Amino acid sequence: MNNRYSILIVEDEKSIVSFMKTILTANDYDVLVARDGEQALMMVNSHCPDMIILDLGLPDMDGLKIIKAVREWSQVPIIVVSARSREQDKVMALDLGADDYVTKPFGTSELLARVRTGIRHIIGRSANAEAMPDGVFRAGDLSIDYKKRHVYVDGEDAHLTKVEYKIVSLLSEYAGRVLTYDFLIKNIWGQNANYNNQILRVNMANIRRKIERDPADPKYIFTEMGVGYRMVDAD
Amino acid sequence: MKRSLLRQQASRPIVSNVIRTLLFLSAATGICILLRMIDNRDTYVPMLFILFVFLVARYTDGFWYGVGASLAGVLLVNYLFTYPYFNFNFTLAGYPITILCMLVVSTATSMLTTQNKRQEQIRIEAEKEKTRSNLLRAVSHDLRTPLTSILGAISAVIENDKILGSEERLNLLHDAQDDARWLIKMVENLLTITRIDADENARLYKEPEAVEELIASAAAKHRKRFGEPPLSVSIPSELLMVPMDAVLIEQVITNLLENAVLHAKGANRIMLSVRREDSNAVFEVSDNGAGIPEKLLPHIFDGYFRQNYEEEGDSKRNMGIGLSVCETIVRAHNGTMSAFNKEGGGAVFRFVLPLGEEY
Repeated sequence: MNNRYSILIVEDEKSIVSFMKTILTANDYDVLVARDGEQALMMVNSHCPDMIILDLGLPDMDGLKIIKAVREWSQVPIIVVSARSREQDKVMALDLGADDYVTKPFGTSELLARVRTGIRHIIGRSANAEAMPDGVFRAGDLSIDYKKRHVYVDGEDAHLTKVEYKIVSLLSEYAGRVLTYDFLIKNIWGQNANYNNQILRVNMANIRRKIERDPADPKYIFTEMGVGYRMVDAD
Repeated sequence: MKRSLLRQQASRPIVSNVIRTLLFLSAATGICILLRMIDNRDTYVPMLFILFVFLVARYTDGFWYGVGASLAGVLLVNYLFTYPYFNFNFTLAGYPITILCMLVVSTATSMLTTQNKRQEQIRIEAEKEKTRSNLLRAVSHDLRTPLTSILGAISAVIENDKILGSEERLNLLHDAQDDARWLIKMVENLLTITRIDADENARLYKEPEAVEELIASAAAKHRKRFGEPPLSVSIPSELLMVPMDAVLIEQVITNLLENAVLHAKGANRIMLSVRREDSNAVFEVSDNGAGIPEKLLPHIFDGYFRQNYEEEGDSKRNMGIGLSVCETIVRAHNGTMSAFNKEGGGAVFRFVLPLGEEY
């Protein structure tokens, strides 16, 4: 009977745990709570939760350490919770293998949306092909044909260059999730590419002009300032 | 990286102080040698050395350099300029007095200058402290109002659980939510100010950022929070890259947009625009409301003007601190910020950031 997804909340602030627990339980998730890093690692091992929501500022250890430890043996989705001004932390967490992040303070709808995206990716990992039976990604008027390697807006070919197509298809593979600049650059230009944001920005600007109706109000690819890019979820 | 930077900063003054000391001493020696070619008497030598020891003491930090210079000076004078030349001779009559004079002069000068510098520092510190406590006072005042209303709303909900209808309850909670959001904004602003203030050179994480991404992100967040009045956005068609700390500049834009929503009386349109002017990016947030009262304009970025204009009422929504945060951030980016009223009515807040070198 109990086939609900279990979520481990790792957070030391009692009141924050309390409100997260309330909304997650109300939305049919099973909630486990760990108050510090040590307890968290123990519970990940013993309970194997379907998802971890991890506050980076823990009393006993750096949250990044937990990500590293968990990623050694598990691909469980990890959503990182961090304060606004710590862009560096978020980027590091994502590069270490965290799946997503929310910035404190966050609303309940934001948290639930992130959780849903994460859960969908657990399913998607095994059933990606079924989700896109004809090998086409669709979101609004945008479609990506993975076989023909073309991107269409409103049925019209957007005429992306090779690199631009690579970027868009990579983002769509992880739709709903943030991909860091570093991740994108390494995956598009290779592991040994010099870290250079500029070239990525220029390509993104061109993509935006080709697929977005209003580049100042994008509908498909969003910028997470200082962190990376996120593509809208598929329909 | 930070540590090596600190070490560099610590070692730089030592090197430059030593170099300065050596320069002054060799200048004194050089001048004495030149003078001796013209005039064979030695009377001016100790005087010249005392002068240069004085200069060393004045233009180095701490007094050890001065003391060292005076000792070196005494030895130099003895070795080079007193008979027997190129030999040390400590038995000359009056010699102890020369040494004593030079030592006293250098020590006294060093102590005076050090004291001066210290006093200057104390004065600057005191001024900073004053600004800080002013800000603190303004802020505490500003925090109290929304906190009171949050506490009030929540207590009302808890204590009147049975009496309140669901609509009333929701209204109260919405108010509390608005105020809490406002508080968060305020606290973030304060954190920014302390971060920039704590650090004279404001070590910002500056990276070239695409202006259109920044604008899109700020506009999206704003639209999510405020449906009305509608926000229209205009960006240049070319890609504009500006070196900046994106989080902070985004904060400037959201502050200005929120200001327009909360303060522009009668506005039904807010505009956010960016354009390029020569080697600058010009950002503007404008509205078509009543504009800024003339008497506020000169003080608008001071941060504390509200106290002087209590009659403005609206005590919770103090835009002063938000604006002074904006100005501080822009200044830390070597940019400029201004506010004025449009001719057709409405306020304009403009800030200008320099573009990167490649432009």
